[in-house]
Amino acid sequence: MTKNIRYALILLSICAVAAFFLALTNSVTAPVIEEMSIQARLKALEAVSGGLEIGEQTDLDNTPFVQYTIDLNEGGKRAGYILGLVTAGYGGQMTLVASYNLDGAMQYAQLLAHSETPGLGSKAADSGYMDKFKDTGANVPVPTAKAMLSDSDAQAISGSSVTFTAIAKAIAAGSEYVKGLGGGK
Amino acid sequence: MKLNWKELTKGIFKENPVFVIVLGLCPVLGVSTQVSNAIGMSAGVLFVLLFSNILVSALRNFIPDSIHIPAYIVIIASLVTITELVMHAFVPAVYSALGVYLPLIVVNCIILGRAEAFASRNTVVDSILDAIGMSIGFALSLTLIAAIRELMGNGTITLFPMGSFDGVINIPWFYNNPIRVMSLAPGALLLMGFLMAFFDWNTARKKGR
Repeated sequence: MTKNIRYALILLSICAVAAFFLALTNSVTAPVIEEMSIQARLKALEAVSGGLEIGEQTDLDNTPFVQYTIDLNEGGKRAGYILGLVTAGYGGQMTLVASYNLDGAMQYAQLLAHSETPGLGSKAADSGYMDKFKDTGANVPVPTAKAMLSDSDAQAISGSSVTFTAIAKAIAAGSEYVKGLGGGK
Repeated sequence: MKLNWKELTKGIFKENPVFVIVLGLCPVLGVSTQVSNAIGMSAGVLFVLLFSNILVSALRNFIPDSIHIPAYIVIIASLVTITELVMHAFVPAVYSALGVYLPLIVVNCIILGRAEAFASRNTVVDSILDAIGMSIGFALSLTLIAAIRELMGNGTITLFPMGSFDGVINIPWFYNNPIRVMSLAPGALLLMGFLMAFFDWNTARKKGR
């Protein structure tokens, strides 16, 4: 009995010291990480806005894939939308922002957070990856299968088809959502 | 104080953790798709292995045998979490590139293996030398596999972006004729098999068999 209590106290002391150092590290890194994620989101919104004026955000509930919308305006008139999209990739949840014209054509998109496999699915965060979806969703359907891509694009997503399909479905859902708005809210 | 340099050098070739002891294969196969990932993972393993060896060796007379595994796991998991938080805050590009493999250092057999087989039975100084040697061996193996896989599978070598350099070097012939399977899991297993066979052959040759 005494031996077990001694063991428990030893483990408790190791855990307490570990908790202290973890708390210390967290107190230093948490503000930096929070600031970085705010900056990354602002940078992503700026990048996908295509130079249009970024309006206010409206949060959505119970809309598949679409978490929020942000109006894009030009000269006081609505010119498009930025949608906050969420989808399930190979490694778990992925969040992205994508901008659309009023007719539902996707213009720019950027991955905000993901847990995809390094070197494979994580390539979705590379610049240029989202180009294959540009101008799709209105007159041209969003490519949701490998067969709908050019040979070079299909080769580029080798080994990360699940990631590609997840992003494509989210972009297609975003496009449908924008089309459902009928050119204005 | 006399340093036992053998403890440092053994991990590089004679007891290479990847090709000879065959430890930590999960991250080796997982992150070896790009050279930059291999370098980032090696840095994480160096930090965790070094400090876990130091702590385990320093506490070896304090931690009873019956609870040494949970105690080591607490130490290693805490070190990995600290590494993860620091990388997320200060080297976000490497943090994103390593993805799920960074927290998985907790279950990397090299860390627990060295704590159990070496640090818990040796002095702090020898444990430091062992950690550095094993980390160098791990880093060299991982970088070698990543370089071959990335070169053959993508025709590129990806380092870290600096100034106007975007970090990606395109290798002319391979860039236009990539062998895609090398970027995928079967390519990693194939290459691992060839390299292990080479190490085995080399060891046998040195022994004169």
